Amino acid sequence: MNPDIPDWRGGLVTAGVDIGSTSTQAVIMVDGQLYAYSSIRTGSDSPNSAMDAINIAMEGTGITSQDIDFTVGTGYGRVNVPIADKTVTEITCHAKGSNYIYGSSVRTLLDMGGQDCKAIHCDETGKVTSFIMNDKCAAGTGRGMEVIANLLSVPIEEIGDLSLNVDEEPNPLSTICVVFAKNELTALMRNGWPIEKVLASYCRAMAIRVVRLLERNGMEANFAITGGIAKNTGIVRRIEKMLGVEALTSELDPQIAGALGGALIAKTLVEKRK
Amino acid sequence: MENLLTYSGIRNESIEQWKREGKKTVGTICCHVPGELLHAAGLLPVRLRGTGCTDDSEGEVWMSSFACSFARSCFEFLLNGTYDYLDGIVSSDGCSMATRIYDNYKYYKRNEDSTRFYLKDIGAPRLYNGKHAVPYYISELNELKKGVENHFGVTITEEKLKHSIEVFNETRSLIRELYELRMSDEPVITGEESLKITLASMTMPKEEFNRMFRDYLTELKTRKPLAGYRARLMLIGSAIDDPEYIKVIEDRGGLIVCDATCYGNRQLWEPVAYEGDAISSIANSYLSRTVCPRMCQVSTHNSLYEMIVGMVKDYKVDGIIYTKMKNCQVWGSENLYCEEDLKAANIPLLIVEREEIMTNAGQLAVRAEAFIEMVEKGDK
Repeated sequence: MNPDIPDWRGGLVTAGVDIGSTSTQAVIMVDGQLYAYSSIRTGSDSPNSAMDAINIAMEGTGITSQDIDFTVGTGYGRVNVPIADKTVTEITCHAKGSNYIYGSSVRTLLDMGGQDCKAIHCDETGKVTSFIMNDKCAAGTGRGMEVIANLLSVPIEEIGDLSLNVDEEPNPLSTICVVFAKNELTALMRNGWPIEKVLASYCRAMAIRVVRLLERNGMEANFAITGGIAKNTGIVRRIEKMLGVEALTSELDPQIAGALGGALIAKTLVEKRK
Repeated sequence: MENLLTYSGIRNESIEQWKREGKKTVGTICCHVPGELLHAAGLLPVRLRGTGCTDDSEGEVWMSSFACSFARSCFEFLLNGTYDYLDGIVSSDGCSMATRIYDNYKYYKRNEDSTRFYLKDIGAPRLYNGKHAVPYYISELNELKKGVENHFGVTITEEKLKHSIEVFNETRSLIRELYELRMSDEPVITGEESLKITLASMTMPKEEFNRMFRDYLTELKTRKPLAGYRARLMLIGSAIDDPEYIKVIEDRGGLIVCDATCYGNRQLWEPVAYEGDAISSIANSYLSRTVCPRMCQVSTHNSLYEMIVGMVKDYKVDGIIYTKMKNCQVWGSENLYCEEDLKAANIPLLIVEREEIMTNAGQLAVRAEAFIEMVEKGDK
């Protein structure tokens, strides 16, 4: 809960719910300022996940769903947000949310989600000016990273740091198809590679993959990464090194960019209707 | 009123009626096989396509997964009986994928009596100009004419050819009228419906199409303008023969108002100007059209790009959706010129990969919707 907002009553309360393939976030904003948020695992039932996320975000705030003036649903499951007044794609929402998280100078965005990966350009208002998404492959996505984490029995949060713990950067995995990558990884393990080196190889392959996506859409400073993988230092550092730029950082959780963008768009829509 | 749209299918009543009358049909591959020539021989030319294919596994066995899914689907339909009404196939070397449909089918039929099924491929030059281009194409067309006459036991007279040119030109002028309606500030027809019409024009007897479509146009002109769409889009790319694909985009609020694809207006636009003799007139007209990146002169004079930019202006297009058939060589390698030029002209561009069997409707929908949010007027 945002301590700078002593009382939400009387303010414009908007919400954004981002049902991703892997995780769901809910953000509540008061007069365009972040008030509360939550992030949970997307269950098999998207409407339930949406309501769970919003309920967790509302916990302790005194806000009930009736108090929310407008809700935007976004993400893969955007049509499954029961309380949504409108749906907007995650591409539009991520750009808008990043503008809030990283400031109006951000122009190039990389959203690395659970099941896809997007390179986005936006203007100073957070409006998308061009974008490109990966096609038909789990490589370069959070889901792919999870598969590898499970295979190696390493907690997903530790992958990034572990992968940086190598003296020399190994060659990237030659294949990035997650299923084939699993085969290749097991072969490397059998050949006696330490787990750090194996992870470095996978992270590097993934970074190369998304850097190509970024370059195809065109790189412009300033650059930021959103989505769950923004928390993986092993990927972020490698992308930065390849691009020769440092990604913008923020105290805010990069995973909530989509839901945050949704809540901001909700505010604009309410204001337009007045 | 008879519904013209029901004739857009690969199998439809107009073809069945044609066959019941004991007449012959010939499948054509690529737009360099002049339908006029087959029409003048009393044949029904049907442009091959893979619309609605849901399984191309047999096609893949023959052509390998390297072949584009359009070619594989067309071949699948040849094998599974969808095209069992055909009495022949004429192909031009449009692209190597499409040519392989012909090659594989010829091999497939290698042990059959060749008098029962007509198979012919003709060459079409890949350069517009140069003193050899038109004479070469004319000689190929003359050979086709001779082959058709021999196989089907008919004589294609100059008079018949001249008449066929007139019939086809009428189709072209009607299609132009259709596109003028789409150009309007208040369009009355969706891209999905428009594609069904151009598909029907490539599938049914031309005279019947012209008659039905004249009535259809009259009805169209009395329709209420479409409401509720958020952006005017142009569709470019290769063999988009699937109205369902366009529907996915239009369901997200992006109205397709014009296109540069194999099955839209491209081969139905410029009339054949009759000058001297029919074959030379057809050759000259066909080779002066802007068709697709197959024609190799994009580096010196990119008429395709000029045409696209011109249409963007005329049709007040908010953005272009560029569908790339996976493994399409001619459109797939077009990035160098088309993509960069369109970006330089500040035309918003969405590039999406496409396969004939539409398994990625959700992926297309989210990209299309985000693109529409990006280009629609009114700020977010």
